[in-house]
Amino acid sequence: MKKKLPLREKIFQFVNGLVFAILGLTMLLPFINLLAKSLSSETAVLAGRVGLWPVGFQTGTYRYVLTEPQFIRSFCNSVLITICGSAIAMILTCMVAYPLSRGWLKGRKFFILIFVFVMLFNGGMVPTYLLINGLHMLNTYWALILPPAFSVYNMILLKNFFEELPESVEESARLDGAGNMDILFRIVLPMSLPAIATIGLFYAVGFWNNYMGGVMYITDPGYKPLQQYLYELVTETQRLQEDMITGDLNLDRDAINMVPDAIRAATIMLSSVPIMLVYPFLQKYFVKGLVVGSVKG
Amino acid sequence: MHFTRKKRSLNVNKSLSMYALLIPGIIFILIFNYLPMYGALIAFKDYNIFAGNNPIDAIFKSEWVGFKYWRQLWAESGFRQAFRNTLIISALKIGIGFPIPILLALFINEIRGIVYKRTVQTVLYLPHFMSWAVIGSLLLSILGTTGPVNAVLHALGFGGVKFFMDSSVFPWVLVISALWKEAGWNTIVYLAAIAGVSPDLYEAATVDGASRLQKMYYVTLPSIASTIMMLLILRLGNLMAAGFDQVLVMYNPTVYATGDIIDTYVYRIGLGQLNFSLGTAVGLFNSIVSLILVTTSNLFSRKTFGRSIW
Repeated sequence: MKKKLPLREKIFQFVNGLVFAILGLTMLLPFINLLAKSLSSETAVLAGRVGLWPVGFQTGTYRYVLTEPQFIRSFCNSVLITICGSAIAMILTCMVAYPLSRGWLKGRKFFILIFVFVMLFNGGMVPTYLLINGLHMLNTYWALILPPAFSVYNMILLKNFFEELPESVEESARLDGAGNMDILFRIVLPMSLPAIATIGLFYAVGFWNNYMGGVMYITDPGYKPLQQYLYELVTETQRLQEDMITGDLNLDRDAINMVPDAIRAATIMLSSVPIMLVYPFLQKYFVKGLVVGSVKG
Repeated sequence: MHFTRKKRSLNVNKSLSMYALLIPGIIFILIFNYLPMYGALIAFKDYNIFAGNNPIDAIFKSEWVGFKYWRQLWAESGFRQAFRNTLIISALKIGIGFPIPILLALFINEIRGIVYKRTVQTVLYLPHFMSWAVIGSLLLSILGTTGPVNAVLHALGFGGVKFFMDSSVFPWVLVISALWKEAGWNTIVYLAAIAGVSPDLYEAATVDGASRLQKMYYVTLPSIASTIMMLLILRLGNLMAAGFDQVLVMYNPTVYATGDIIDTYVYRIGLGQLNFSLGTAVGLFNSIVSLILVTTSNLFSRKTFGRSIW
């Protein structure tokens, strides 16, 4: 029964498909080039001879990065921060979103207002730094875990989701004598698993990708997260390239700090692995979770 | 009588546990959000970190100096430059980065094969989940002097481009890379809105003999117009956010003239040079302008479209 497509339609489908194939390639090619570089010899990389396939194949770069103590330390720091941070963030977010999703709660509007206000106005980077300093959190994991551990935006998404749950289930549970906590743990949370998974993954990705926290609050190498390690590689490389061009290159000082391009490429690849691993799960859940918040009138 | 009293006490209990749940969250925002707002008062003080027992106590104990730092701010050419760059980069990001996701969503929606459509979406969303530290180093590697982009430019007979050191090129590197990273992801909202368009409209258009492009232009686009307008207004409200994470990892002193934005300026003045009061004044200026922009645009959105973020 399949209708035969008219020629115009076929041409449109072909051209449209082709355009997106090209767009898709522009997303993937930079990563493929990076992968090829990470597996190529340094001389080939420096000569700019590496395209999409390794030149002078080697895996020594990966061995080097995986035995580099600072990389391992930072990787473990990031894993720890991501796990603890996401757990704290999810607990806090659920604890706030649930009461604020119940229309009968007295003072609900006021509480929503004091939460939403922090989305609109902030004290700025310097007072926040002084606060973290005053709380003796500089150069501790807390500086990386606590400040991003509550996002009002995510809380509102979850609150909206809780509001959409059918009321009848809750009403009948109340008649059976269930309290707020029973309803939260037995009804609201189990029914919201897709939304909770989505928001949890957003938090996890946020913690993993956060390099600003490290740049602002961490100077002790023992606490640096992986993204800060990467950031420092990039800015250091930039500075060296600049010095090379302006002729300020100080070989005694800079030769030590020079990180070969192939090793830099391997570092970037390895630090993206966890994101690649959770990406299929993100895919599965995020559309469902996002639609809730964005389409609400 | 008994019954009502019992019910009321039950209601109080019912609310109590709810308020208890709110306490940790409220304490959290009081410390991490409201305390820094109070701390922003050092924009009107001569902040001396040793004035008190600790940096927080010093906020209270430092001396008031009124608008001293606010006058100094406008005298700083670095601030005026950062302010201008923020507006320019942001305007470019909106001008280019706002319409393209709409176009992408319209055409993604027309892809027929469901597997191909999913694959395209998966690939286009991917860069959104990478940090700017990763993307920044990726860009440095492919746009650098020995990178493949310059190799291609050389092969085609063009001269090499110093993407990270030429201040006339650098803002475009920021704008295009942000587009590359986020355009795919930003189609999600539009695709969701398009999925809600009634199939009847398309059928009616088909009966009237509309071509595919006509349907996209006369049916799909008007159907998502209110979503587009709302997002545009909200985006305009975020004009002062020109992309701190992105710029911090990509810029360097050779491109401050066009690449330094307010956030990176505050970072250097406040945390780099430890000029706390001046840095706070710049940050507070930024926050106040943002607050005005966001509330105005949200009010406008609510009045005009009956939709708003809160």
